[in-house]
Amino acid sequence: MTREDWQLIGFTARMAATSTLVILPVGLALAWCLARAQWRGKVLLETAVMLPLVLPPVVTGLALLKWFGRRGACGSWLHDTLGLDLIFTWRAVVLALAVMSLPLLVLASKSAFEEVDQTFEQIARTLGAGEWRIFFTITLPLARRGILAGTLLAFARALGEFGATIMVAGNIPGQTTTLSVAVYQYVQLGEDAHAWVLAGISASVAFLAVLLASGHLVRRTKR
Amino acid sequence: MSQDIEASFVKTFSGGPQIRVENLRTSGPALTTVLFGTSGSGKTTVLRCLAGLEQPEEGSIRFGDEVWFEARGPLLPPQKRAVGFVPQEYALFPHLSVAHNIGYGLNRVRHRERQERIRETIVWLGLEGLERRRPAELSGGQRQRVALARALIGRPRLLLLDEPLSALDGPTRLRLRGDLRQLLKQLGIPTLLVTHERTEALALGDQLIVMDGGRLVQRGPVHEVFSRPTNVAVAGIVAMETVQPGRVVESADGLVSVVVGQSKLVSLSSHLPPGTEVYICIRAEDVVLVKGLPARSSPRNSLSVVVKALVPEGPIMRIELDGGFPLAAILTRQACEDLALRPGEQVTALVKAPQIHLIPR
Amino acid sequence: MKIAKTAFRLSLIACAWSAALRVSAAEVNVFAAASLTDALREIGGKYQQETGDKIVFNFGASSTLARQIEEGAPADVFFSADEAQMNRLEGKGLIVERSRSNLLSNTLVIVVAAERGAKVHSPKDLVSPEVRRIALGDPRAVPIGVYARQYLQKAGLWEQISQKIVPTENVRGALAAVESGNAEASIVYKTDALISKKVVVVYSVPSNEGPEIRYPAARIKGARESKAAIDFVTYLSSEPATKVFERRGFLTIGRPGK
Repeated sequence: MTREDWQLIGFTARMAATSTLVILPVGLALAWCLARAQWRGKVLLETAVMLPLVLPPVVTGLALLKWFGRRGACGSWLHDTLGLDLIFTWRAVVLALAVMSLPLLVLASKSAFEEVDQTFEQIARTLGAGEWRIFFTITLPLARRGILAGTLLAFARALGEFGATIMVAGNIPGQTTTLSVAVYQYVQLGEDAHAWVLAGISASVAFLAVLLASGHLVRRTKR
Repeated sequence: MSQDIEASFVKTFSGGPQIRVENLRTSGPALTTVLFGTSGSGKTTVLRCLAGLEQPEEGSIRFGDEVWFEARGPLLPPQKRAVGFVPQEYALFPHLSVAHNIGYGLNRVRHRERQERIRETIVWLGLEGLERRRPAELSGGQRQRVALARALIGRPRLLLLDEPLSALDGPTRLRLRGDLRQLLKQLGIPTLLVTHERTEALALGDQLIVMDGGRLVQRGPVHEVFSRPTNVAVAGIVAMETVQPGRVVESADGLVSVVVGQSKLVSLSSHLPPGTEVYICIRAEDVVLVKGLPARSSPRNSLSVVVKALVPEGPIMRIELDGGFPLAAILTRQACEDLALRPGEQVTALVKAPQIHLIPR
Repeated sequence: MKIAKTAFRLSLIACAWSAALRVSAAEVNVFAAASLTDALREIGGKYQQETGDKIVFNFGASSTLARQIEEGAPADVFFSADEAQMNRLEGKGLIVERSRSNLLSNTLVIVVAAERGAKVHSPKDLVSPEVRRIALGDPRAVPIGVYARQYLQKAGLWEQISQKIVPTENVRGALAAVESGNAEASIVYKTDALISKKVVVVYSVPSNEGPEIRYPAARIKGARESKAAIDFVTYLSSEPATKVFERRGFLTIGRPGK
């Protein structure tokens, strides 16, 4: 384990944490809409959100590359109006991690919201609480176990993300190289031992995250 | 100035069942209107529409001169109706303590005042010492009182209770029924209470509205509706043939004497002091008719009654009697013929003391 | 009964027919550098028409392919963009002795996007702040990256621009980055630049300033179709193949190996 390896782990963790923070408000909002609201286009939205879960990651990465590249629909706007470049920077890493881990958060949170008995929310209304207050004081606290599990899974997924990341962020040492990308690279270079060490770390963290998440889920169903 | 609910509306569920309410009214401050009927008759839905948790398709709901709901018109959300709503299973917020549950609706009130009001309400409902507990740590009776506290602390103008006692076990239910009655009397607001228990309706209600198949089929003072159902359906629902007001005059040796109309009846006491106003309830099947005076018999109650009418109902005969108050008896046709009963005849009615049910008012 | 007999006879004929086909048509697995994609596809097509042998290509960065062969991927022929990767396999004893020969060379060029491309006219311009990112096959292993690094080090520019390098999987990836505007410039082979309409060559590295580029080809030990492999490698030095290579911008140097 070299000093670069530690920096690598730190970088990957920071990127995963950032992406998880970014998707929390978006994911919870989507999950709540899908759990509570009823409207005609709902199925389409649900499918769109779930796509990154089932598409090959490189396909998702390709789509992101097209949209956020310098000449792409979003990318050109960002470049021209905000002077911001996404592709081949750490921002692209956050983007890829966010898109790939969002479905897990939405899935778990949607379930969690659905399990909250709406009677509580209705009583809160008769007591004078507005919708936002109800969300933050009733719905969210009662759903917190499932949401936490979803967040952990999303974080773990972000830590291990590879396919989309390498497409949009490349493998720039010190700038966009994540743990999984580094493993791939060491394999390519024939430095297997090095690759195994990093792979081991990656696997341990993922194992821990899933263990914690399942712990939350199991505890919830036991009640 | 207190106000009353006035509602006429239609609510349909996907799948067909329709609830059609015509002229639902509460009866004034400090009076309890009982919405009575079997499960599935739509009572809970009516309550939820009044609370603003469901929206009818047609009709209107008014409270005093406020419009709460108007078809194709304004809808006042539950937040603005100042209604206290207690659902069947109480729905206490499981993640909040008793104190926070009770104080939930007061978040706009200044901290000091809020704490005071919570304290007052806790004392009023006898919940001292439970402030920090979670709902899961409370008994059924305690939960019910917390639910009431939570609904009442906001000084609602209308109280809606959905089967307030059905989640409790027998002895607790009995005890809390009395407490609830006292409480409802103290509030200066109209209450609409849903139940399917006859004794509860009698104990808690001033006015009764019977619901059947999504419709309001009879309304009036409680004992009247019970003793004079207007049709067979209502009769089936209320299933208590003789209900009469009376007053306890004596209480000794485990027995009480109750004056009903001009007659005196003996029943088993449950520590009812003389002077208590009660309803006496007698099932028609429990009335035994005798022609000629029996020498000695066990029933404590022996009344001289006059046969008023004989109503055949299949294999049995329903007999309306007058014993100083209206009394109903049910006999087999055979028995009727054996006794050769005819309107105008004088016979003796025997009822055992335990079969006279007393409900304190 | 009659139907059964006919069916049996037909199936015998079918078996014999496919066996015959298999005996005559061989399948040769060729692992080749990404920069050879278009040229080899054309050559392979011609070869298939003439001989009936099927050439199955696996294109990628020579370093990636070498790795795959090390792990036992079923290659019959390896056509690398630099000698380092071939040495790697030879060192592990995976090459058929004396089957190796250098067939081609190439030229390094600097490219920018054809539309609204950065203003680069010489290698020194790569240092300017206008050039924010330079896509390049990974300089640690991919031949084009290794060649480019060697060149830039020799020109004394490597220190200043190494921060801007965006390593890509292979040379085509670098090309794509410039085409899409995500990188301002790249150093690629002249042969790659000629394929793309979306990039323009702004500087061509003279052969005396650039590194020695050699494309060796060799047969892998234990290949299934030894004879067919030999035939194909021989064909690569033949006149029709040479014409294709030269037309596409390669420099031919090799003599046929055995």
